Amino acid sequence: MRLGAVTMGDEVKLAFDLLAFISVMVLIVLGLGIIASMMGIFNFAHGEFVLLGAYTVYIFQSSGWSGWAGILAAPVVLAVVGLVLERLVIRRFYAAPIIAMLGTYAIGLIIRESVRALLGGQYESIDEPLSGVFTLLGFNFSVWRCVIVLTTICIIAATWLFLSRTSLGLQVRGALENPNLARACGISTSKLYSMTFAFGAALAGLAGALIVPLYQLSADIGTRFLVQAFLSVMLGGVGTFEGPVLGAAAVGGMAAGLPWIVIPVLADPLVFVIALAIVKLRPQGFITQGRL
Amino acid sequence: MLSEAGSDLAMGSQSAKRRDATGPSRPFRRVLPYVEIGALVVALVLPFALGDRTDLVTLATNILILSMLAISFDLCWGLAGIMSFGQALFFGVAGYAIALVGRDLDFSDLWATLPLAMLVGFCLAALFAAFLLMGRKTPSIIFVAFGTLTGSYAAERLVSGWQYVGAGNGLSSVKLLKLGAYEFVEGDAFYFLALGLLLLVYLGARYFKQSQLGLVLAGMRQNEERLAFFGYRVQLFKAVLFSFAGMVAGLGGALYSYHQGFIGPGNMGPGLSTTAVVYCLLGGSGTLIGPIFGTAIVEGLSYALSDIAAIQHIWPVVLGFVLLVVVMFQPRGIVGLLVSDRERIGSYGRRRSDG
Repeated sequence: MRLGAVTMGDEVKLAFDLLAFISVMVLIVLGLGIIASMMGIFNFAHGEFVLLGAYTVYIFQSSGWSGWAGILAAPVVLAVVGLVLERLVIRRFYAAPIIAMLGTYAIGLIIRESVRALLGGQYESIDEPLSGVFTLLGFNFSVWRCVIVLTTICIIAATWLFLSRTSLGLQVRGALENPNLARACGISTSKLYSMTFAFGAALAGLAGALIVPLYQLSADIGTRFLVQAFLSVMLGGVGTFEGPVLGAAAVGGMAAGLPWIVIPVLADPLVFVIALAIVKLRPQGFITQGRL
Repeated sequence: MLSEAGSDLAMGSQSAKRRDATGPSRPFRRVLPYVEIGALVVALVLPFALGDRTDLVTLATNILILSMLAISFDLCWGLAGIMSFGQALFFGVAGYAIALVGRDLDFSDLWATLPLAMLVGFCLAALFAAFLLMGRKTPSIIFVAFGTLTGSYAAERLVSGWQYVGAGNGLSSVKLLKLGAYEFVEGDAFYFLALGLLLLVYLGARYFKQSQLGLVLAGMRQNEERLAFFGYRVQLFKAVLFSFAGMVAGLGGALYSYHQGFIGPGNMGPGLSTTAVVYCLLGGSGTLIGPIFGTAIVEGLSYALSDIAAIQHIWPVVLGFVLLVVVMFQPRGIVGLLVSDRERIGSYGRRRSDG
């Protein structure tokens, strides 16, 4: 009886850890997936957008503001950064996805190493705006992880409602389906692309701001998720909204769950091998048709 | 999906056509052979010119070795149109292989270890090619790019957690490369060994590029589907070239390991892989000589500026800007400034004797 209670507790803890990590992955992948789907650009600088979001929170905290102000400011800052980058650089790469990878990689390198120089190679810890745990049915849950899970659910819902219920969302879907026809109908796809890129960057900024209390702030906070995030997008399928979210859930679940089954050193590569094998067998992803 | 190299090719053939249309053309002046011979002469006299500056000879040897990695990437991207973000994987694994052979079997004879490294690179690349490129469905270029990136990243993570191969510290004090009783230490002898091997690699790659196989590859870069409709097994050609590139990277990795006396997880990760991309694009992809120039410029500048602490700190930022500028404004690289498009893309098969 007692033994049963212990394993039961472990299972709940594992499930909660899985859920929290999946939320982090989804949060990071959402922006990446939206940019990849809309514009056909795999943004190698996405990890650095996450880093910039985290860094914004750090700046706010070190200049005496509350953590909440930083979390609110991060998406705005990143939206502006994304808009400027799209206008100056990304715009040139629409026709050439591989060149876009190289260009965004260069941007990411510049941002990451600049921040590394600014931080002086230090690790900075950021306080959770809501710290502590609460107890439910005898189990302890970290408050901040719950906030992340809830925020992720809200963002998914809001993005889905925006895409499926508003007229702007309809234009976005139209431009995704057939850019030429959308232009012929008087939709400015160039403006839509700018907005999409800014939106994706803002989501990355928010993700960075939310997850930085869980991990210490270092220049590599974003890149550690980048390969997993790319695989999630490919796994879920480019061109849909649900695809990358499902892909992120699958990859995040595997990345958090496999270390419980196999030795941790093998877990990481195993996730990649499984994900690549699935993509190889189903290159079009989980979801083949945009169903919004 | 038309790659950058492909659009260049289209431009090149158009300008050639225009020349034909305007009647008898001026004799075609070739610049590239002079560039190649000039580079070779400089490389041959360099150790004598440097004299007793052994640190610079070491740097030059390092440049020659890294040039193999750069050429290996150029074979993938410049010739076959495969974007490989994992070329360092073959470099690093071969380096580890010969370091382990030296440590566990106490063996480092040149005639066996270097072919072994090439074999390791070749087989690993062939394995990757079989998984990523071959198959019933034609894989997207993006899938191949992420596949190589993931392989390189996973290998780095795996090796940094594996005690047998030294985990995060890598393998240091690698046994010296031997030929009979002679041991190659850093210096002129190692320099000329690396130069000779690089020359062999270069000539081999150049032969590949200018053969009929090179013509098929050029057609593939321009329009892969059309070549497939002609009956060429496009993916097989890519796989062959990818495996050959892996072999070249493996040779470079073995020499690197012997020369530095060290090999670590970072030597097979995405970091070095993307540095190889920078070498190649800066010099000019698809030209084979370009990647060597790119390597020399990046490594030479990095060495020259390493004394200045402020610049050393932001050196990766500078590299990022260089890559961004090259990608945005000079996709033909430095060699593209010297050489016309027509010559950069090259001619194939045997040249007509009447010119």
